[in-house]
Amino acid sequence: MSNEVWVVADLKIDGSVRQVTFEALSEARKKIAGKLGGELCGVLIGSGVSGHAAELGKYGAGKVYVVDNELLKNFNTEGYTIALSELIKKYSPAVVIAGNTVFGQDYFPAVAARVGAGVTMDAIEIDLTDDKKLRIKRFSHSSKAIPTQVFLDHHPMMTTVRPNSFKAAEDPKTPEVVDGAVTINPGDIKSKVIEIKTKGSDRPELTEAERVVSGGRGLGSEENFKYIYQLADMLGAAAGATRAAVDAGYCPYDMQVGQTGKAVSPSLYIAIAISGSVQHFAGMGSSKVIVAINKDPEAPIFQKCDYGIVGDLFDVLPPFTEKVRALVSQS
Amino acid sequence: MKILVIISQTQDTEAKIKVSAAGNSIDTEGMKWIMNPYDEFAVEEAIQTKEKHGGEVVVVSMGPARVVETIRQALAMGADSALHILDEGSPDMDSFAMGKIIAGEIRKLGGFDIVFTGMKIIDEESGQVGVQIAEELGIPHVSLVSKVIEINPTANKAVCQKEIDGGHMVVEVPLPCLITCPDAMNDPRYASLPGIMKAKKKPLTEVKVSDINLDGLTRVKTVEIKVPQIERRLRIIKGQDGPMVKGAEVEKAAEELIKLLREEAKVI
Ligand SMILES: Cc1cc2nc3c(=O)[nH]c(=O)nc-3n(C[C@H](O)[C@H](O)[C@H](O)COP(=O)(O)OP(=O)(O)OC[C@H]3O[C@@H](n4cnc5c(N)ncnc54)[C@H](O)[C@@H]3O)c2cc1C
Ligand SMILES: Cc1cc2nc3c(=O)[nH]c(=O)nc-3n(C[C@H](O)[C@H](O)[C@H](O)COP(=O)(O)OP(=O)(O)OC[C@H]3O[C@@H](n4cnc5c(N)ncnc54)[C@H](O)[C@@H]3O)c2cc1C
Repeated sequence: MSNEVWVVADLKIDGSVRQVTFEALSEARKKIAGKLGGELCGVLIGSGVSGHAAELGKYGAGKVYVVDNELLKNFNTEGYTIALSELIKKYSPAVVIAGNTVFGQDYFPAVAARVGAGVTMDAIEIDLTDDKKLRIKRFSHSSKAIPTQVFLDHHPMMTTVRPNSFKAAEDPKTPEVVDGAVTINPGDIKSKVIEIKTKGSDRPELTEAERVVSGGRGLGSEENFKYIYQLADMLGAAAGATRAAVDAGYCPYDMQVGQTGKAVSPSLYIAIAISGSVQHFAGMGSSKVIVAINKDPEAPIFQKCDYGIVGDLFDVLPPFTEKVRALVSQS
Repeated sequence: MKILVIISQTQDTEAKIKVSAAGNSIDTEGMKWIMNPYDEFAVEEAIQTKEKHGGEVVVVSMGPARVVETIRQALAMGADSALHILDEGSPDMDSFAMGKIIAGEIRKLGGFDIVFTGMKIIDEESGQVGVQIAEELGIPHVSLVSKVIEINPTANKAVCQKEIDGGHMVVEVPLPCLITCPDAMNDPRYASLPGIMKAKKKPLTEVKVSDINLDGLTRVKTVEIKVPQIERRLRIIKGQDGPMVKGAEVEKAAEELIKLLREEAKVI
């Protein structure tokens, strides 16, 4: 058993490293590696990924394990599960961390089951107890509760962490690169990705954004969502939506914020024509400042926001967006 | 086809959350219990699969005696039989232990073709039990499936769509496999009155967790639960004659909001 603390890099479809990886490295260095007396390490799983080792080093990884395999070109459950499980069995780290992304949620619990480890999901705080057990905090009960969970005497201790929960802070190292040398056979990959369709966007990603502008059912059409996009772009914000808006086909599924959709915690969340359901709040209720624009004074969102305007969005948004534009062009 | 659906009971979404005196669990006194909402979609998908391909739907659920009510609901929706893993609140059982136990009982049930389960339970919300069960059973899984495109027992495969950042991916997986279900993938049916009557007579088998060795299974312990208290400013700008801002008030309201965001909240 080693004392190493591992952060598995989360890669986007375009192959770049997700911000949550740098956040996790920074927080693990600050709260875990020192206290445990173990080295902070990065893990890269994919095809042609070793070039990212330097980026992980920039955020404090002294060592980077690489599993580079053609079969890992696109994320696939079995490939990732085999790669990480085999690495864990071989090097026996103390702590293993990954981002709570769509992919993290998919393979991390499988790896934990395979290596017999405990795993917690979507941590918003991580540290160590005095007897060096991983301790995490997370949201539960539709984000109405925050449990603290502590690992018992098992090795390794695994957790995913919520994007945008920690600050990424540089601590440049030149990492030693270790070839993980895990064998993966084509027959091991049972679930095959037969199609990937993605569309690039110039807007920031929801889970990484400092500001979010979201629209609900009250927008009434896909066409009207331009009001959301305009304001979002003016503020350099990500654009989000409720399930009702996604279901109605006003915007794509990956804009959904909430219990099923993305969890966001920006410093500014502007909710337009959104009633404020428990499920929507489960995904954005911890935002620092919440603004609501809604025509119904009885909408539940007015009981749990910081600022609000009771009014028709089609009256209020154009002048509001115009004033934001004026402000932006001033500064 | 033999179709399994793993479901759980949970507290009503609207429930007010109170921490128990011990400080590390939720006080459930007087709470309303419901089927975990995500599991409703799993049950619906299981029943639709049966309607298309024939076969039977077996419900599996673990929990205290009260979960029988939720099991009956799934049977009333159209499932055929059920396995109840009875556990009267084993202290400190975590998701890992739960996944092991449920998988162990499923293995005893023998051959099945496909397993459905919710993406997560809305109380603990860790979203790991389904994937763990698949791993324990040694079958592939597809998580967070937004649409089951095809289940083809003859070709022994399922094709599922899954949403990812900026788009979607389509995954083809051999049977048997496990699928975790978010909401909105289908439209769960209500239990009909005849369905409810029939459900009472459908076979329900019970096994006890006390007959299962739990030693050393648990990996993680909840030591404390806090209810987050976020004070909101609640500064709502309203109209003069009627709740909505109108006419000239609109400009002023927009102006005031900008000022508050700049000077008070300092976020723009
Ligand atoms: C298991 C489960 C999971 C769920 N997960 C999610 C999730 O992840 N995310 C999510 O968002 N929801 C989720 N939901 C759905 C949730 O319960 C609500 O149905 C949804 O959030 C409502 O969206 P909405 O506020 O846009 O629509 P509504 O509740 O219909 O509200 C629309 C609002 O728009 C206002 N409005 C209408 N026209 C105007 C106008 N012209 N100007 C100003 N205001 C106007 C109305 O006053 C109203 O308040 C989930 C539900 C379940 C059961
Ligand atoms: C107050 C309270 C008391 C409870 N008491 C008991 C108890 O006495 N005994 C007990 O066994 N459980 C009990 N539970 C349930 C238990 O807390 C959760 O099922 C368990 O913690 C799993 O949480 P998770 O976040 O890991 O589930 P997730 O990983 O989020 O769940 C994912 C999916 O796994 C399936 N799943 C989860 N739990 C179960 C289950 N129990 N049976 C079948 N399928 C399941 C569901 O389909 C769910 O959609 C209780 C829950 C609460 C809130």
